[in-house]
Amino acid sequence: MAKVNDGDKMELHVWKGDWGLPSIDPNSLSVLAYCKFSGVPVDVKVTGNPYRSPTGELPSLRHNDVSETDVNTIFTYLRKQNWGSDFELSAKQSADVLAFSAMLEEKLLPALLHLWWIDGKTYVDFTRPWYNKIMPFPLNFFLPGRKQKAASLRVFLTKGGENINNSDVEAKIYKEAKECLNLLSYKLADKEYMFGQQPSSLDALVFGYLAPILKAPLPSNQLQNHLRQCDNLCNLVNKILLRFFPLSKAEIEEKQKKEEEARKAGVTPEDTEFPHKRRNMVLAAIFAGTAMVGYAFMSGLIQLRMADFQQQEEFPGQQKNTNNSADSSNSPKPPDFSASGFDPMFEERSNEGE
Amino acid sequence: MAGDMSSSPLVVDAFQAEIGASEPWPVDVCLYQQYAAEQITFPDYAHCLSVKTFLYMCGLDFRVEQKTNAEEMSPSGKVPFIHVGAFLVSELDPIIAFVNARGFNLVSDMSDTERSEMRAYMSMIESILVNAELYLAWLDETVSTEITKPRYGCPYPWPLSWMLPLRKQKDVRARLSSNGWKDKTIEQVCEEVRTCCQALSERLDEQPYFFGDNPTELDALVFGHLYTLLTTSLPEGPFAEIVQKFPNLAAFCKRIDEKFFKQEEN
Repeated sequence: MAKVNDGDKMELHVWKGDWGLPSIDPNSLSVLAYCKFSGVPVDVKVTGNPYRSPTGELPSLRHNDVSETDVNTIFTYLRKQNWGSDFELSAKQSADVLAFSAMLEEKLLPALLHLWWIDGKTYVDFTRPWYNKIMPFPLNFFLPGRKQKAASLRVFLTKGGENINNSDVEAKIYKEAKECLNLLSYKLADKEYMFGQQPSSLDALVFGYLAPILKAPLPSNQLQNHLRQCDNLCNLVNKILLRFFPLSKAEIEEKQKKEEEARKAGVTPEDTEFPHKRRNMVLAAIFAGTAMVGYAFMSGLIQLRMADFQQQEEFPGQQKNTNNSADSSNSPKPPDFSASGFDPMFEERSNEGE
Repeated sequence: MAGDMSSSPLVVDAFQAEIGASEPWPVDVCLYQQYAAEQITFPDYAHCLSVKTFLYMCGLDFRVEQKTNAEEMSPSGKVPFIHVGAFLVSELDPIIAFVNARGFNLVSDMSDTERSEMRAYMSMIESILVNAELYLAWLDETVSTEITKPRYGCPYPWPLSWMLPLRKQKDVRARLSSNGWKDKTIEQVCEEVRTCCQALSERLDEQPYFFGDNPTELDALVFGHLYTLLTTSLPEGPFAEIVQKFPNLAAFCKRIDEKFFKQEEN
């Protein structure tokens, strides 16, 4: 592979990862894998905020003053900079790469979008909470909804039709996706990578689409069950994960520590999922209590008696008022705190003056 | 006429495989499409041509019925669809599955790898050429106002001939915006078509068909789209020039045209 060192670093913004994956987004994963395959000296910035990237979308690559967003344009850009994993492919194999990447987009992507964003239970219980967690505060209220809308338009407008109802579309896209997995499995057969010993951009794309299916603990995942039966595809994904995305030492230690702790305490998975459960409950109780007391105070249900005894002796009339404070809030003449209670010194002095 | 088949047009092929296998190909098979000379838009024409080519390749007899409302008659809302005995099947993929279930198979002696490559190239046509055709027909200002909309609205009286094309254009625009094609410029679309043709040309090489000496579904699909692009005369037709730049693809179209269509006419 020819390499040109430009001297300045490329910056790649990708979605955050989880479950042992460097990112959970298929496009981000594909770009990451492609960079690893061809050894691009890229500075990876993991984020949950798409507006951090120059174009407002993820993944995005910045190099000098150029920003690219789409997977294919990023690949093309890198290829133009002489970074690529496809230079050893024949013309026919390059044509195959194009054809299979079109098949992934046409047959597998709709099912993937449906699985994550449109399947009601998964979206409510899994996808939305996950994105809520990683996105910064104001964005997490509207971005998951917007992503869901885009996904559902994509699936139903390109795969549906006037006379087709949604359950038919669903049956169709999952059937196509499973067929697509079979076809990929045939294509891979028992080779190391799709085109022999060297990984290509097609392997990067396949890895990007399949890794989340295989690793994400979705509540229901018919594609995962199907993919598990295609042994060679599972092996390909695991091989790429092991070889190109090894966990760093810190990550391994952290993982081990976590596992050990979990074993010692015998905690349930629920506890590890919400580590600060007790603290959050206490905070919530304190907050609710404060709010209730505050409201009661503001609306006059509780009133604090500020005047001290001296004052009360000197102004017996006022004392009567403060004693009846509970029902005096509705009386036409409210208790005169500001004059009597808050500045007794001033009151005394003015009395002397008289 | 859709009968009980219209309730789930996409999932029928599972049980059709069981019922259909024993029956022979009936005599009165009909393929429905819009009027080819006056009405049909060229993306639809490409689909119809692909299906016709596929049926000819299988050696199956059928007659073409032209109806102004073929789109509304179709169980999936898209042309073409075929009427075989008690069944209505629309679009290329379900028709291929249906015909295979009847025992006519073009790809029975292909290996699994070849079959998966064939499906991949078919997906590429769907994801690039089909979208590019829709883009040129409905989103390009000149082509849509001068050609597509007048043709689409021609069978209807005045207010409808104006409203229905607009509604269709809106649908196509929504579809292309959902998959990102709407924001492309015409140059980018041409570039996509060029890469697609490049890939097809590499794959075809000097062979008579994409997978050796026998025609496959892919040949039918590619012919349907490329022949349409080559022969449709449009006020702005950059696609024909692009296809012409690949001599083996142009020769391929000519060969299939002569073999399957000129013979049928004689």
